[in-house]
Amino acid sequence: MFLMLIGLILFVAIMGFSLSDRKNLSWPEKFINDSVALLQSWLYKPAGYMAGLFEDIRTMRHLYEENEQLRTTVARYARDRSTYNYLKEDNDYYKSVLQFTEAQKNQNNYEYLIAQVIAANPDAYNKTFKINRGSKNGIQKDMAVITIDGLVGLVSEVSPITSTVMPITELNAQSSFGSKKISATVSGKDSFGIVESYNSETGQLMMSKIAEDDPLQEGDMVITSGLGSVFPRGIEIGKVKSKQVGDFGLTYTAYIEPSAKLDKLREVLVVKVPDPEAEGQKE
Amino acid sequence: MKLHWIILIMFFLFLLEGTIVTWLIPTGWTHRLIPHFVFVFVLFAAMYAGRHVALFLGLAFGMLQDIVFYGHIIGIHSFSMGLCGYLAGLLLEYRRPPMLTAISVIGMGCLLLDTVVFMVYTVFQINKQPYVWALTHHILPSLFLQLIFALILYIPARRWFEGAFRKNSKEENEQAQL
Repeated sequence: MFLMLIGLILFVAIMGFSLSDRKNLSWPEKFINDSVALLQSWLYKPAGYMAGLFEDIRTMRHLYEENEQLRTTVARYARDRSTYNYLKEDNDYYKSVLQFTEAQKNQNNYEYLIAQVIAANPDAYNKTFKINRGSKNGIQKDMAVITIDGLVGLVSEVSPITSTVMPITELNAQSSFGSKKISATVSGKDSFGIVESYNSETGQLMMSKIAEDDPLQEGDMVITSGLGSVFPRGIEIGKVKSKQVGDFGLTYTAYIEPSAKLDKLREVLVVKVPDPEAEGQKE
Repeated sequence: MKLHWIILIMFFLFLLEGTIVTWLIPTGWTHRLIPHFVFVFVLFAAMYAGRHVALFLGLAFGMLQDIVFYGHIIGIHSFSMGLCGYLAGLLLEYRRPPMLTAISVIGMGCLLLDTVVFMVYTVFQINKQPYVWALTHHILPSLFLQLIFALILYIPARRWFEGAFRKNSKEENEQAQL
């Protein structure tokens, strides 16, 4: 009985400690992470391929539709590409005219690292997953993780050859890591809000602190705004489903349906934002 | 079967939980059917190898899961798996329950585990949903997954544990007869 009491106190201490904001993992954690991840990666990938094969057979019927859809997308892409080239040239010209510094020019030059998912946590309250890139590949805490559909999550812990990703569905104002705030805007509109929590009952993200006269509407595509320069800009988060008056009646809250698929991921991209200070030192 | 082989099997199950099982579960049910295969083995250990072995296995494998998938908090699975394994051991140690009793004990153990996990997450304000939601959302669906797994592995797991702890259980039986 006495021993159990001591055990209980010990566990509360450990949990409280792990809940606080930690900068780095200790070496036993790193070691366990990396060695277990090595074994997990041997299992996850083949299983994914097998499952993908069955999925492919099932979706064979939709191939025609998908092909049609892709063709229109490619046409649109070709059109957008030409406008993009033109705009980019223009933009570069204006930047040189306005005498931007190197650091300013490189601000939006993001580097994308491809990472394979090696395991997913079987837990309803903590849906982290692991990727096979770590600090040796230049991954740091809080980097954005995306797929082609949109924002997936943030790097929460880094070991030498693997790291743990916390999906955006774990955003939570209470927990030390989950209390990350993503500043967001609407593509094509001058709007501002902060995505900071997720409701697992409705499956929607909550974007708060939207001003009263904000042009945000239902059906708008919410993207990251890149303000604060920790987070890259222009990454899709999701579509606005509804908009309501917020807690104190001064601001609005929008409910967003995430656009990225968050389960059964195979490959993700980690976005490296160029460090403004490091760029400044180079000059 | 020696104990270290059982630990190896449990480690393999732990690897399966995070990798292959994720792919076997149909889309849309991913975080509703949660495998607790390692914990089922902890309960087997509680019944056939004693509460201390169950406590040790629960603590160790819970801690492994906590460290590998460190998200919000460390120690939650370790605490709940150790506690539930120990309690199950207190109830049924060396009693050799018949199969139906054993399976229902495993079911109740899994319910208890999910409840303890839910409660710890609620205490630390990471979870904000009510218990009724958690019950229908993932606790009950995953209970069936655990029961099916326990049914499939009931006979081999029992043999493995009895093989590893034959000496102890014989002594216990003799003591009981005396």
